Amino acid sequence: MRAHILAALLRKEWDRHLANRGGVALGLLLVAAAVLMGALAPDEAAGSVGRVGGAHHCFVEFDAQTPLVAHLARHVPPELAGQVLFRPLADADAVDGLIVYDPGVGAIQVRQPPGGPVRVSVWYPDGDPAALARFEGWFWREARRAFADEARRAGRELPPDPPFGPDETWLVLEAHGRLRDRAGAAVPELAIDRKGLGGAVLDIRAAVATGMVAFALYFACVYLLATLTCEERERGLLLAQALSPASPAEIVAAKALFYPALGGALAAIVAGAYRPAVLADPFFWLSLAAVGGGFLGVGMTVAALARTQRAAFLGAMGYLLAVSLLLLGCTAAGVRWVPYLAVEYHGPRVLHAALTGAVSEDHWGHLLAAAGLAAGWLLLAGWLFRRVRH
Amino acid sequence: MSSDTIRIAGLRVLYGSFAAVDGLDLAVRGGELFGLIGPNGAGKSTTLRVLTGQRRPSAGAVSVCGYDVVREWAAVKPLFGYVPDRDNHFTEFTGRKNLRFFGRLYGVPDRRADEVLELVELDGSADVPVAGYSLGMRKKLLLARALLHDPPVLYLDEPTANLDPHSAALVRRLLRDRVRAGATVVLTTHDMDEVDAACDRVGIVCRGKLVALDAPAALKQQHTERVVDVVRTDGRREAFAVDTDRGRLGLAELVAAGRAATVHTREFDFRSTFLRLTGQAFE
Repeated sequence: MRAHILAALLRKEWDRHLANRGGVALGLLLVAAAVLMGALAPDEAAGSVGRVGGAHHCFVEFDAQTPLVAHLARHVPPELAGQVLFRPLADADAVDGLIVYDPGVGAIQVRQPPGGPVRVSVWYPDGDPAALARFEGWFWREARRAFADEARRAGRELPPDPPFGPDETWLVLEAHGRLRDRAGAAVPELAIDRKGLGGAVLDIRAAVATGMVAFALYFACVYLLATLTCEERERGLLLAQALSPASPAEIVAAKALFYPALGGALAAIVAGAYRPAVLADPFFWLSLAAVGGGFLGVGMTVAALARTQRAAFLGAMGYLLAVSLLLLGCTAAGVRWVPYLAVEYHGPRVLHAALTGAVSEDHWGHLLAAAGLAAGWLLLAGWLFRRVRH
Repeated sequence: MSSDTIRIAGLRVLYGSFAAVDGLDLAVRGGELFGLIGPNGAGKSTTLRVLTGQRRPSAGAVSVCGYDVVREWAAVKPLFGYVPDRDNHFTEFTGRKNLRFFGRLYGVPDRRADEVLELVELDGSADVPVAGYSLGMRKKLLLARALLHDPPVLYLDEPTANLDPHSAALVRRLLRDRVRAGATVVLTTHDMDEVDAACDRVGIVCRGKLVALDAPAALKQQHTERVVDVVRTDGRREAFAVDTDRGRLGLAELVAAGRAATVHTREFDFRSTFLRLTGQAFE
């Protein structure tokens, strides 16, 4: 590697971006959005943090397919259709034995061991006990009806159903006690506990900042690198450089240095605007390096395989869409291990943890996984660049 | 260094089973302007690709200034300048910025860019983005780029295409100056007049093989038909082959008798010569 050649190639990349008004405008917009986000940040000392309230989905998880579960499944009201999801407890996503829920999702678990009480556990998003109000109202009403139907079938005289509120557990228990007084052994005992799910409630600013940081890295390392490299190839510019004293390794090295630096700088500005302290956190820089390295490998792989700028654009966008669909499909289908093979699975998790300052042991695992995947992508890209001759 | 700057021995380049170059032997001397001509698909562009490292030979050996273009490619790269048939500039950069970038890769000072811009008469538009250049200006900028590091070898693919007569003359003068300074210039062209006027030697390739190699004047001598066309005073036309006694005597009698209205020698015609040698129409 010769310093004067690398310097000339790096300066050329910089000059090309300066000459591209669209790219400059996009960069400025990203920075402006980050600065705006920083300027409009609420006063954290006052405890005012942006939150997403409520829950958009509620799992009803059961240990056995009982008449109660069947009744509940038959009586989901139209306004909750699609939002109440039934599944056996054994099928729930679990990490190290703990069931994991996505943000904005809660659960009502029903356990009916033979001869024991019906145990209902309500898991609401942490810090938002009323998040499942709509689902709980429905659940208690229908559970009460199910039990009452069972008692009536056993020949018991019962009063009309009481009104149930979302947070009136005492009333439920009272009503149930009275029911048992009248119905006797025909109605089982009931035990209820309500808990917040572990983890923080989604901070919308942190989510947006994470998205912007990941976007800056992806945009520079995948989209710009692949499309501009292929544009140079298509217009014969790469050939002109390759016929100069610059070696192919120097040309590739300049690109592999420039685009992660550009994406990393943009990402750091965005992150610094969101939370300046993050810039002093080694985990943040390690996350940028791992995710940026992964995206660089993806970008160089696309650049090695695509012959034209158009193909590179489609490759970069197609890859993003394919990975998004894969992650979504795996989440929906409960496939647990396949997403671990995507940088895009680990990247947002480590970046979000770094940005919110909530780094756990799990996040170090994600960081290691992202770094390993980045190394894999870079090796693949290097092999392809040596093998594919354009 | 050998007196032959470029040596091509038994060059064979295959595209699948098709031989684009099929056993080409050629030596280009130092300080000569060499023209490589041939019909489309003859193999001249493939030969140039091998010389500029864009294509590996399937067989044979190619050396430039004594360096093997495959094994010693890094040593060969700084020795040549290349003008491709299609312009490949950074169109968002000015002419000056384009040249300064490539100059830095060659390790030449920025002022060299200004010098070559002046040489190709583009100094007046040096600070205009190349996107605003005409085709001819772009071609001249390619030549300026090839001259940046003052290379001992120049390869030019159709160097005067799209140039106005003044610019074409300028390019020929620049090439001749480079040759006088000791450089070797290899150009491919379809312009027969250019070959005739500019080249010291010409190689004609067809179907991947060299079918003729000589100076244009020698080619003329070899291939000009030594025939004199006469239009007689009675309007009839007659041709006399001056290589035969019968032809010479017949012509002399006709002229002496005053029965020849016009007498014309047949001029060398590169196109028909080319057609005869290659068996193909010139495109």
